[in-house]
Order: sequence, then C-alpha cells, then structure tokens
Amino acid sequence: MRILRNLSRDRLATISLLIIAVTIIAGIFAPLFAPFDPNEINMSLRYASPSWEHLLGNDHLGRCILSRIIYGIRPSVLWVLVVLFISVLAGAILGFLAGYFRGKIDAIIMRICDTMLSFPGYVMALAVIGILGVGLENILIAFALIKWAWFARVIRTSVMQYAELDYVKFSKATGISDFKIIFKHIVPVTFSDIAVISSGSIGSMILQISGFSFLGLGIQAPNPEWGMMLNEAREVMFTRPELMLAPGLAIVIVVSAFNFLSDSLQVALDPKLVISKNKYKENSPYSAVKVREKEVAN
Amino acid sequence: MGSYIVKRILVSVPLLLIISFLTFVLINLSPLDPAEVVLQAQGVPEITEELLEQTKEELGLDKPFILRYFDWFISSLQLDFGESYINGKPVWSLIGPAFLNTLKLTLISSIAIIFMSILLGVTCALKEGQVIDKSIRGFSFVLTAMPSYWLATIMIWYVSVKLDLLPTSGMVSYSSYILPVIVITISYAGIYFRNIRSSMLNNLNEDYVLYGRASGLPEKKITMHILRNSLQVSISIFGMAIPIILGSTVVIENVFAWPGLGSLSVKAILGRDFPIIQAYVLILAAAFVLFNTISDIINAFMNPKLRNDL
Amino acid sequence: MLMKKFKLVCLILLIISILAACSAESSNNEKTGDSANNENEIVYASAKDINDMNPHLYSGSMPAQGMVYESLVENTEDGIKPLLAESWEVSEDGKIYTFFLRQDVKFHDGVLFNAEAVKKNIEAVQNNAEKHAWIKLSTKIESVNVVDEFTVELALSETYYPTLAELSMTRPYVFISPKDFKNGETKDGVSGYNGTGPYMLTEHKIDEFATFEANEDYWNGTPEIKKITSKVLPAGETTLLALQKGEVNFVFTDDRGADSLAIEPMNQLVDSGEYQLIRSEPMNTKMIVANSSKQDNPISEIAVREAIWYSIDRETISKDIFNGTESVANTLFSPNVNYANVDLKERGYDVEKAKDILEKDGWKLENGDEVRTKEGKKLVMKLYYDSNSSSQKTQAEFIQASLEEIGLHLEIIGEESTSIANRRSTGDYDLLFNQTWGLAYDPQSTISAFTSEASYLHTTKGIEHADELYKKIEQIMVSTNEETRKSLYADILTIVHEEAVFIPISNGSVTVVAPQNLKGISFKQTQFELPFELMNFK
Repeated sequence: MRILRNLSRDRLATISLLIIAVTIIAGIFAPLFAPFDPNEINMSLRYASPSWEHLLGNDHLGRCILSRIIYGIRPSVLWVLVVLFISVLAGAILGFLAGYFRGKIDAIIMRICDTMLSFPGYVMALAVIGILGVGLENILIAFALIKWAWFARVIRTSVMQYAELDYVKFSKATGISDFKIIFKHIVPVTFSDIAVISSGSIGSMILQISGFSFLGLGIQAPNPEWGMMLNEAREVMFTRPELMLAPGLAIVIVVSAFNFLSDSLQVALDPKLVISKNKYKENSPYSAVKVREKEVAN
Repeated sequence: MGSYIVKRILVSVPLLLIISFLTFVLINLSPLDPAEVVLQAQGVPEITEELLEQTKEELGLDKPFILRYFDWFISSLQLDFGESYINGKPVWSLIGPAFLNTLKLTLISSIAIIFMSILLGVTCALKEGQVIDKSIRGFSFVLTAMPSYWLATIMIWYVSVKLDLLPTSGMVSYSSYILPVIVITISYAGIYFRNIRSSMLNNLNEDYVLYGRASGLPEKKITMHILRNSLQVSISIFGMAIPIILGSTVVIENVFAWPGLGSLSVKAILGRDFPIIQAYVLILAAAFVLFNTISDIINAFMNPKLRNDL
Repeated sequence: MLMKKFKLVCLILLIISILAACSAESSNNEKTGDSANNENEIVYASAKDINDMNPHLYSGSMPAQGMVYESLVENTEDGIKPLLAESWEVSEDGKIYTFFLRQDVKFHDGVLFNAEAVKKNIEAVQNNAEKHAWIKLSTKIESVNVVDEFTVELALSETYYPTLAELSMTRPYVFISPKDFKNGETKDGVSGYNGTGPYMLTEHKIDEFATFEANEDYWNGTPEIKKITSKVLPAGETTLLALQKGEVNFVFTDDRGADSLAIEPMNQLVDSGEYQLIRSEPMNTKMIVANSSKQDNPISEIAVREAIWYSIDRETISKDIFNGTESVANTLFSPNVNYANVDLKERGYDVEKAKDILEKDGWKLENGDEVRTKEGKKLVMKLYYDSNSSSQKTQAEFIQASLEEIGLHLEIIGEESTSIANRRSTGDYDLLFNQTWGLAYDPQSTISAFTSEASYLHTTKGIEHADELYKKIEQIMVSTNEETRKSLYADILTIVHEEAVFIPISNGSVTVVAPQNLKGISFKQTQFELPFELMNFK
C-alpha cells in the first residue's frame, strides 16, 4: 500500500505505469486492438502514407504498420518479461540458498555465477546463437542462461544483509525451520530489492533483444517485431525515412516508461525507509555499486 | 595489500581454465559437422564422402575430444587459435587487429563516458531536486531508452548524408570515431552519471561535510572534497564498464562497419567459422576477467575494508 | 592519504587517455582506399572480403579472381572464343584437345606463360580432384602433355562435349604463376597471386579493402582504369550512403546474386544525375526449388508442387517487388538459353486452378479450417531464403500470403547462404530459393547438377522418371551429335517442367550502378564477373 501511495505521488511514475499497463494489455489482446491482420498483404497499398484506415501507413508489402506494432508487443515486450521472470526466479532460488545457508552451497553457487558472469552478456548470447542458430527462441534461451547468474549474485547480497538482522538470528535460535524463516522474514523484505533490480534491467533487455533482431539474428519473418521492423525500414531509409519512426518510437517510449518506473520504484522502496540508515550504509555502498553497474553487463 | 593482489590473481586463474574448457565444449556442442562446415565455408561446390574423411583427418577431428581440447588450449596460450575455416588465415591475424580496433573504440568511448558522467553527475548532485537535475535525469532516461542502432542510423542519415560532415562508416580517419563514440556515450553515460550523482549525494550527507560547513570552510573546498571521495566510486564503476562496453559494441560496429571484434564475430557466426567464434569468446572472457581483477584490486587499494572480502 | 588516492586516480585516467590517443594516432596511417574521388579509379562495394585469391579453390571472390586470372578460352554471346589459347583442335573421337597458346603472355611476376605453365596448373587442379567433383571435366582429364613451348594437349578418358565451356569458367581451370606454387601444388595455398589478367592484386587488408592495379604489360593492351578497389561494406543502406557520399562509386549485383540494394533508393540515386544504372540481359532464372524426395512432406506430391506454381502471382512480384527490373519467368531456362527453346505448357497465376488441383488430389479444406488436410496430414511446409537478400525475404512473405489463400501453410525461414547450400546438399528442406548459374553455365552445368548431391539431386530424386532423367543427362554429356543433344535437352526440360520441381519466378540480371561518365560498361556471360578492363572515364 505504502509503495502504491509513494508511487502515485510521482506523476511521471503514474504515467509510466499507465503506458506499461496499456502496452501489456494491448499485447496480450492484440487481436482485439489491432485493426488488421498484421500479416495481411496488400500490394496496392505498398508504402502507402498514413490514412484514417491505416493510421501509421503501410510497409513494403502493404501491411498495416499499426497492427504490426501492436502484434510486435508480444515478442518485443511480453516475451522479454517472461524471460526476465524465469531468470529472476532461478536467480532468486539460488540466491536465497547461497545467501541464507552460506558455506559450501554458497561457494559452489557463487563460483558458477562467477564463471557465467565472466562471459560478457553479448558474447554469451552470440555464442549461443552461433551454436543453436538464429531465432527468437534461441536468443531468449541465451538471455535466460546469462541473466540468472547476475540475479542470483545480487539477491544473495541482499539476503545476506537481512539474514544477519537480529530478529532473523533470534528466529533461528528459537528453532524455527529455515524455510519458514526465509518465507516469513526474508522474502518479504528482499522482495523490494528484487523488484528494483528486475525492473531496472527490463529496459536494457528489451533494447538488446530488439538489437539482435535488428542484426537478423532474432525473430523470423513474417512475425512482426520492432527491431526487425526497423531493419526492414532501414533498407529504404533513404527514400522513406519516416518508416523508421513508428517502431523506433515504440521502443523508446516503452523502454523509457520502464526506466522511469524503475527509478520511482527505487525511491518508493528505498531501503533507507525500511531499515535504519546506519545499517544500510554499512553494508551497501559496495553492493549498491555492483547492483547498478552490472545492469548494463547483461 | 600484496597478499590480496596475489590471492585475487590466483582466484582468476582457475576461472580462466574453466572458461576455456566451457568455450571449447560449447562450440563442440554444435550439431554441425565441422569438416562439412569447413568445406561449405571454402565454397567447394560438391562435397563427397572421401573429401569429408580427408578433411576430418587434416583438422585432427578424428582424435578424442579431451586430446583436442588440450591441443587447442596449449596452442591458444601461444595465441595460436588455428586457422579460419573460411579464408584459411591464422585466426590471430584476424582477431588481433580487430581486437585492437574494438579496444580503441572502447577506450575512447570510455573516456567520453567518464567525462560526460562526471560532468552531469556533479551538476545534478549539486542542484539536487532543482529543475536542472530533474530535466537532465529525465532526458537521460529517454536517451538511454533509444536503441543504439536506431540512433546510429539516424545520425548517419542526418550528419553524414544530409549535412555531409562525417564519413558514413568504416575506420578511415579520426573523424570516423566521432559518430560511434557519440552513440556509445549516449547509451552509457545516462546510466553511469546516476552512480556518480548518488555517490555524491551520499557524500553530501556525510558527517565530514556537515562538520566542514559548520567550521566555515568555503563551499568550493567542500565540493572538491566530495568530488574526490566520489571519484573512488567512479573508478570502480569504470573499471567494470570498460569490459562491458568492449563486449557490447557488436551492434554499433555492425551499423558503422567498424572493422572490430563485433563485426568479425557476427560474420563468423553467420558463416559458422568456429575457430573464430571460439577465439572470440575466449579472448573476450579473458579480457573481462582481467579487467575485473584489475578493478577489484584498485577497489581494494582504495577501500581497505574490501581486502578481506575474498 | 586522501591526496595520494586522488593522485592515483588522476594517474590512471592519464594513462588511459594516453593509450587511447596513441591508438587513435596509429589508426590514421590506414588511410588508403577510402575515397573514390580519383578520376581514374573504380571503388566498388562488396559485401564480403575478397578472401583467399587462390584460383584453384573456391573461397575467393569471383569478380576479383576474374580480374586477375584468365582461362584458355572465353565463353561469349557467340560461343567459345580464344583467350590465352589462340586456337585449338579437337580430335575426331573428341578425346584429344590441342591448344595453341598466345606467345606474348606473361604472368604478373614476369614469368612467361607457356605450355609448361598450363600443364603445371591443370595438374595442380587435378591433384586436388576431390574438391572439383562438381565440374565433370575434372573426372575426365587423363593427362596434360607439352607438345612444344606453346602447344599443349589435353587427353580425356572419354568424349565430353562441355569441355571447352568448363575450361572457360572463372575457376578452377585458370592460370597462376608456377613460382607461386607451394611444393609444386596449389591445394595447400599459394605464395602469391600472380595471374595473367588485366589487373594485379597490390594491397589487401582483410575485411577492409583490396586494391588492384592495372597490368601495364597486359597482352591485350593496358586497361584504361588504372586502379580498382574492392571495399568491404555491409549490405544494404550503408552501401547506398557510401555511394551517395562518393566513398564508393561502383556497385554491382554480387557473387551470389543477392540483391542487397533496394531498388527504389537506387533509382532515386540515378535520378540525382551523378550515377547511371545499367542492367544486363536476363542472365539467370530465380526460382523456388522443391524437394521431391522428401517423402514425409506434401511437397513430394506433384499436385502440391503444381498448385504452388499456379498460386504465385509473378506479375505482381515483377512489377511491385522488383519495380519492373526483373521479368516474369515461366520456365526453368528462358528461351534465349542454348537448347532451351522448348515448347512447354505455361502455368500462369490462377488461384482457382490451384485449389482445384489440390481438391482433386484429396487435400480437403474441412469446415472452419485454414489449412488443408489429407488422411490426417496437414498441408504445411517450410521455405528457406537468404537472409542477406531483401528481395527474397519480401517474395517469401508475399508467396506465404498467397499460399495461405489456397489452404497451404508456409513457414519461411531466413538463413545465411552457406547454410542454405548445406540444406540443399543434405536434402534438409521442403522449398528453397535458388537461381540458375548464368548463361555460361546454363543449361549444361545446371542440368548436370541435377545428378549432383551438392546441388539438385534431392530435388530431382523423388520424381517418377528420375532414372530416365539421369540416363538422359549422362547421354547428353558424351554425345557428339548436335541434333541428339537438342532432343535430349528437350526431353529433360520437359520432364522437370511436368514434375514442377523447379518453380520459376523471375529472370534476374546483373545490375551496375556506376558514375555517369563511366563508359564501356558491358557484361560477360556469367553473373559473377565484369570486364573492368573495357571501361573508361570520359
């Protein structure tokens, strides 16, 4: 509740949330929102300018650009969210195991993470595509493979911080089972951290995945995807630069919305408000840096 | 301090070994027959069974997996990564210059990023909450939200073609650096200046600032003080940022036809040139580990508390 | 303490900037081959590096090899003409070819071109015969004999009528200075690239550019264009931008015929007045190849292939996708190709007919379904296209939509050309885009490729009269009688047309975009090379 209240005070955040909600709904119910079939070809409308019927005009096969943008939400945004969810989940499970139990499990998990993280994200993704071949699924697999390690590491740091708090130590001492402690005391407090880091990486993930489609390594035609639409538009950027606008702006708007939202979330969930200021400072300057800086990495 | 450095380096050695093995396994997981890939890549119009057998033998593919790994590993240490399937040139002779080109782009971009980030970060921190702070931050969000390839294409179209000021692509002169550096800076400065800003803000609330103000030190001196402390954070950030940028110039290099690692690797992937992919992954991972080690050491140097964190 | 750290920080920054500055400086001396302002120079854009220029292997760029190396004879519009051989004689049984060489030819390194050099080169090719299995001549050559300094004799194991045509190809039967051989061979690489051609390779920076300079001692007169640079640029708009800025001044359809340039901006560029656009006569046929031997897929049925043929609107493809630059093709070879003027039934665009054929063959559209089924099997298949070719992608999407209309679901997949070649040779495809090889190779090479695993064996293997087809192809190659050949070709073309395994789309040509004042632009019989030596600036 407090989070929502904090957020609603921030006008920019409200707008961002609204944009994201609309985008997601439009993506899920694309057939209801899109005025036309995104793959319907009509050569007589090749490169037609915007009209009342086709608000954003038509592409090189006379397909409705607006409909393609709406259907493009699915691979460009929704699938990214799914991959993010999977990797956060995997990262969270391992992060909790490592951060809470420490010892050998921690050492093993962290060494694996180190290894995974020593491949820069792009390189790993390229290697996976190199082996599995091009395609959206393969890029999504690559991203899930890379991302979990980073989430695991960050979540571990956050869990460790809380696991050392007095009331957790007290619970341990009174013999409450570990899983109960995790679910009752640690998951709720770390949740805000998880929300902040995952929302912070959506933007860069959307950009990177569309980048691969732009290079022709991603989704296959004729399925609409924003990066690929840009690639198609690039071929005629000389004569029809306006075709670069719609998909480009779609990406900018959605990614900006996620960035603003993540920023506001960070303020709204500021750990300083949750734990005492001193406690925060003691543990975090270093980890906070890591959290931020790694965002770009993957 | 010395023992920390030794320890830190010792930690990264097994990591490098694991990486090299993983790289090799990864590439060998590919369902394609390398001998066939070689022949395809050489453009041989018709591939016969005998030719396949012969090629396998030439490539040493008939040896067991582990042996091949050791052979590859030992020669990799001497920068001998074998020969490209496609043009038969030694892989290092292709990757070496490309690596250098990418490194140049990365370092110059990093300097631009550091400069912009400090400039913007300090401005925002000093004017916290004011219009200028808010608008810079808001604007930076929009800029970082732009797909770099989109920005790059628009820049080429406008600056190079419409205004005819700069070369469109390639690496032909100093001026070739300008557009790629600008695009990379825009994509990353927006992220890093926030780190500087928040570390400045943290410092602003520190006791020594309050104390300094209370004892009547001039504002300028206090600001310098804060800046100095914040720089520590910046250094550790950029230590990490350089290898990240090094690995992620792929898209930019492709748009600008920059003769670097990114262009080379995408070409290698599309052409299934495995020796190059292998070397690319290994070299970048090694560079990544190296830079991380260096930045950890620098961090530990500046923040003794971290020395026990191994 | 604080001051010390601050100094360290400054020092690090300083080192980084010095490093960067140094590296920036060193990059500055690489300023070669970047401007096309020089009047007597052609800088052409190429999507790929020229690669290994060894003329006896296949990874090099064909336009580049075509400038540097020459063959004994040349394939022209009017048949086989002399090149390095002034004249030749064929023995009565067709097994001995005697070539009388030009006596004034030198390799770029000054070595005299003579019978000995011919013998060495051809033997070097033969010693690596496995790699040349596609060119059937390589399996027929028995020996090469030096008769005298400028006369050489080629002995075949049996009569083979396309001998001269295959000797005229860009590779492998071309000549490199014997001094460049490694251990008397060329199969493990060569130490230099000295051919006899009008241009010599002078500088090569991998993945950046390659420079060719005119061969002042060229036997057929020094070429007027003194310098040709091949500049590597990624396909598409980068090339257009570079053209507009003058960083390159010449573009042509590349090796693999992938039209990486969009037509509309190209036309706009020409309208601006600085450039001219020249298109060759139709050179090849662009088509969709169907895998008749894929038993578990509907594509193995002749009715399905015919239905696909009928449902492609070639007029629209030619008019809208190619902006009229490619003409409609209704047969595998256009009638102007040798031996290909055969009367074949035209299958125009007729959706109703396509539906009818499928209906009769048992592919029914159940109520509410979008895809036809037959005995529980769905009418679904995959089409592969070259991901570097924007026109192939557009066509694929267009055809996909047309087939949807007749109840056939087509998945389209873009891949790199090497991987498409791989699919073709392993038979791992339903449909794929392909093209015939050009006038110099059609019909004989394309038709002999019907029997070659790497090419069209999987395409033709599944048809009803496959054995008969292969027998006829074998007969053609050894036949010495023109009339027999004609009738055999007619039979072969009829069989593959009836079976609808090669679904033609359009007739492609080579397109050149060049500066307005460049004259003498002409074409060869292949889409792979251009005669640069005939061009000049006015």
